[in-house]
Amino acid sequence: MTIKYKSIKEIKNMISHKEISNKEVIQEVFSLINQFQDLNAFITLNEENSIKKAEELDNNPSDLPLAGIPIAQKDLFCTEGLRTTCGSNILNNFIPPYSATVIENLENAGCISVGKTNMDEFAMGSSNETSFFGNVINPWGKDLVPGGSSGGAASAVAAGLVPAATGTDTGGSIRQPASLCGITGIKPTYGRVSRWGMIAFASSLDQAGPMARTAEDCAFMLNEMCSHDEKDTTSLDNDIPDFEENLNSSLKGKKIGIVSDLDLSSLNNDVVEIYQNSLKEFESMGAELVDISLPHLSLSVPTYYVVAPAECSSNLSRFDGVKFGMRSEDVKDLEELYIKTRSEGFGNEVKRRILIGSYVLSAGYYDAYYKKAQQVRRLIKNDFDNAFKKIDVIMTPTTRGPAFKIGSKGDDPIQMYLEDLFTISANLAGLPAMSLPNGNIENKPIGLQIIGNFLDESTILNFAHMFQNETNWHMYTPEGIKQ
Amino acid sequence: MDKKTVTTISYLSRLKIDDEKEEKIINDLGNIIEFVDQLNDVDTSEIDPLANPLEKTAKTRKDIVTAKNLKKKLLEVAPSANEDYFLVPRVVE
Repeated sequence: MTIKYKSIKEIKNMISHKEISNKEVIQEVFSLINQFQDLNAFITLNEENSIKKAEELDNNPSDLPLAGIPIAQKDLFCTEGLRTTCGSNILNNFIPPYSATVIENLENAGCISVGKTNMDEFAMGSSNETSFFGNVINPWGKDLVPGGSSGGAASAVAAGLVPAATGTDTGGSIRQPASLCGITGIKPTYGRVSRWGMIAFASSLDQAGPMARTAEDCAFMLNEMCSHDEKDTTSLDNDIPDFEENLNSSLKGKKIGIVSDLDLSSLNNDVVEIYQNSLKEFESMGAELVDISLPHLSLSVPTYYVVAPAECSSNLSRFDGVKFGMRSEDVKDLEELYIKTRSEGFGNEVKRRILIGSYVLSAGYYDAYYKKAQQVRRLIKNDFDNAFKKIDVIMTPTTRGPAFKIGSKGDDPIQMYLEDLFTISANLAGLPAMSLPNGNIENKPIGLQIIGNFLDESTILNFAHMFQNETNWHMYTPEGIKQ
Repeated sequence: MDKKTVTTISYLSRLKIDDEKEEKIINDLGNIIEFVDQLNDVDTSEIDPLANPLEKTAKTRKDIVTAKNLKKKLLEVAPSANEDYFLVPRVVE
């Protein structure tokens, strides 16, 4: 009896039918993590506490929605008593005195946080190559990146080490690794999930969400992750629907927006063919394709690379070697303490973004860059508002191609930034968006992106679930198909 | 983007750039700024900036202390502290 590649519901059933004990589930997870440690998917493991919690559940069975389910938590969420590094040397020794609201919500629903997953440093990267703790490997090929920044989470789910993981998405950090590793992930509407206890990168863009093998498991996780939280002043107090309720609704007559301004000619031919096949699949389920225009879409990457560094330079000023995290030795005064700690603690990409942020916010450049980018951001959001008057969802490929080789983007930051070409606009507009597997190219998975209207996660989960009812791309694993 | 600008913004950021990396950083930052300069092709004269997708001002709550008695817990994770304060190198002579 194995839990490898089983869904959350399947594991719950196995536990409740006593086919496997809670302790056996957790023991298998750690034996898998150990077997696949070359993936480097985890930074810190929580083995002792996890086994203890599983034993308690065996003694006192629980009917909580996620009771006994092993979840891998991105190392960007603070976890009380468990080291939280955010992939950075500057937090190498940080043991938070509190847990993020997302962690509390999931643990209150009974889940077992088995460990903290590797990630690009402070979530700044699209290949997991910026982590202080080394590359994560994509289980689909030992020379392939898993994507980023939630690369450890995607790799762990794709390798079957855990059924689900948490991720965060500032410009595509859930969707792009989901696409490159052949799994399903959703970034909810900005404000749906509390950011309290999430280490901030760009506060107007960051949003946490689930990563799993199916849309159904994502819905299941999202039900537990969302809450209105007084501790996050941008947390929405709108009603939170049951995200599972709508999964099987008919797609007949539903409208899919196809972005006419999108230049598909720059993409890998196979990506375009796979994308078009998926659209045909939705048409055969009764959905209609509608051409829409998002004229400012091509400006989303440059807009993001002003807004995100500006917010990051401000957020990361808290890492000063005084209150928590690492502190450099041998300094003569307070200013040198700040400078030496930050210079030794941060990696190259993080420094680059802090510098860009300081530049675009500095006197004389603020209007030309930061204000300008915020104005273009509104134009991008207006485009979406207009489009959603006549459609239910928008579909695009998630990425320009499948997983690329480690080191292949060289040291050119702009080439890496363009990885997020299709995903960034949803963060700028605050819209929910997901990625689900829709094809393979030379035995490497690729994903379809579905963007939804504000607060309409249910509809994109519905489209994704219906697609997964009709196709089996989400069942492919690096070891072959698992039904 | 030149050496003087990078020196200024690295000081504003409280970061020290190693001499051997300086040229690459000047080059990278210059390329990034050139890349984002395409935003200037758009006429935004009548457009209000959008700082946050919710466009709401941050909610306030009643001014009641909810997180109490955390001093010990928070000082414990500091690199250097005594019973009451974070400790840093001497500031006043």
